[in-house]
Amino acid sequence: MRVIAHKAAKVKNLSANQTLTLISLLVFAVAIATLACASGSFDISLWAIVQGQASALENNVFMQIRVPRVLLSGFVGASLGLSGAALQGLFRNPLADPGLIGVSAGAALGAAIVIVLGSRFGVGATLGAFLLPMAAISGAALVILLLYILTSGFGYQGVTYMLLVGIAVNALASVGIGILTYISSDSELRGLTFWTMGSFGGVTWALLVPALLLITAALLAMVPAARALDLLQLGEIEASRLGIDVGRLRYRVIFAAAVAVGASVSLSGMIGFVGLVIPHLVRIVGGVHHCYLLPGSAMAGAGLMIAADLIARTVIQPAELPVGLITSAIGSPFFLWLIFRMKKL
Amino acid sequence: MMVMKMLMMRITLLCLALPCLANTCTTARDPARISVAGGSLTEILYRLGAEKQIVAVDSTSNYPPEASKLPSIGYIRNISAEGILSLYPTLILGEDDIGPPAVLAQVHAMGIDIEILTEEHSAQGIIDKIRCIGSIIGESGKANELIKQFMLPRIDELNILTKKGRLANKKILFILSLQAGSPIVGGTGTSAGGLIRMTGSSNAMADVAGWKATSTEAIISAAPDFIVISRRGLNTFGELDEMRLHPALRFTPAAKAGNIVVMDGMQMLGFGPRTLDAAVTLSRRFSSTKP
Repeated sequence: MRVIAHKAAKVKNLSANQTLTLISLLVFAVAIATLACASGSFDISLWAIVQGQASALENNVFMQIRVPRVLLSGFVGASLGLSGAALQGLFRNPLADPGLIGVSAGAALGAAIVIVLGSRFGVGATLGAFLLPMAAISGAALVILLLYILTSGFGYQGVTYMLLVGIAVNALASVGIGILTYISSDSELRGLTFWTMGSFGGVTWALLVPALLLITAALLAMVPAARALDLLQLGEIEASRLGIDVGRLRYRVIFAAAVAVGASVSLSGMIGFVGLVIPHLVRIVGGVHHCYLLPGSAMAGAGLMIAADLIARTVIQPAELPVGLITSAIGSPFFLWLIFRMKKL
Repeated sequence: MMVMKMLMMRITLLCLALPCLANTCTTARDPARISVAGGSLTEILYRLGAEKQIVAVDSTSNYPPEASKLPSIGYIRNISAEGILSLYPTLILGEDDIGPPAVLAQVHAMGIDIEILTEEHSAQGIIDKIRCIGSIIGESGKANELIKQFMLPRIDELNILTKKGRLANKKILFILSLQAGSPIVGGTGTSAGGLIRMTGSSNAMADVAGWKATSTEAIISAAPDFIVISRRGLNTFGELDEMRLHPALRFTPAAKAGNIVVMDGMQMLGFGPRTLDAAVTLSRRFSSTKP
């Protein structure tokens, strides 16, 4: 017992390389956030803002449009990256993705209901900007509840079942979205299409602050699970013998990830491949220990998402591209490469 | 009356959604720099001689051709707050599908006037649009002149062509494009349906609501006398002959007689002034064949 505890303590410490990587990732995220705050299609000098010499319009654009957007993209990137890493650890499957547990599909169904049916009853207009994220997060919450009810009977070997339930929930939500797509009008369909491509546009402080609180709480709940996730890689029975309560770990990670992803997706729409790809990138650089991997994925996710959004809003300015298009365009070739690499092994 | 009621309802809803961006058709505070979202609005501004005031257009503004040289704010339903503000507009003119609403609310919060024009798929709808834009930019005189010189003669011609409902028995099938082997057709409540009504003929797909993919059988039993399609839509079929022989269309009276009309999509469905030209051309074509 003492030997194991001793070894555990040793493993828990980050290597010099990992510490260095984490620090560089943090520096990268902060630097890219500063760059993103300084650039955009509207010409604002950051220096003038700091000195208070900017015009009222410049100040407004900076504080009400750009800063919330950079914050949101950073937090969504962090939440997708960290959730992806934690879920890959939990399922011991390198291809797990936050979308896999069905939460984003649930959120998408909620959003689709508002986009398509909202305008028919006039509710979409009355509550305006609030209704869509509210519906999306309710959809995500419903999936979380469903997961809880459907999987509560399984023992510690239940991870596979949970995965299958997630796939089934995904399929169910897709049917709902499919039906809504079919009955949607032309403009509703376009709204739906753009939502599924993701965007950080249109976010306000009033929407942002509750989402950031939810995401932060969920991420903080996941990080302490790092050590248990390491041990879980030995196998569920082995981890259980080493004193890990696998059932509790499972609920902790899945529900924290679900809350983080639900809150993110409700404001940003669907953003593909970030949760899958980021943890792999971070693993390649610094190793597989979750004490390093979880915070590393959060920082890398934040930095890369802010960068992707910066590209999305500046590359064809004054128009903008959906950010999910950019992450998927970069993510899918990487995914293919992952598959080919696995085949070789 | 009905139309008025729907219009009022829509305006009320818009008011609730955003801090009242309804279309009041009153003179704007400052129409010096206009950002336009909607091809028909761009066309009207050009016809009113206000093209120098346009600072940006959306991707549907392709007429007149020189309009597409202006900075583009992208697709009308996906505009970017910062992007639109970077052009320092004093007024944003939009068709009613401008969005997303959250972005509009942001832009409005920056103190920019936003005027959203309601869409009504009829000749009167186009006249209302011209009047409204005329009063917003303070050029009501020019707007009335445009209506008198351009709109009224064409409306008269349409009235003569469609007198006593003589085209009402012509069944028209409007095809948007071919998607995965089935044609997407314009049913009731679409702009295509409005165009067909303007030509005095009847929509072969009146049973369908909105734009829908239809089965071959439904098209054959609708038995359209004419098929209307946009140039871009025709490209999804290939050449005109390929379209005529397409399995979904070859058994229709229209395809058998070669009655397929191809025209610019934005001209037909944009509901700017030039849509009247499209309606006149179509009406002439429909009345040229014997019943």
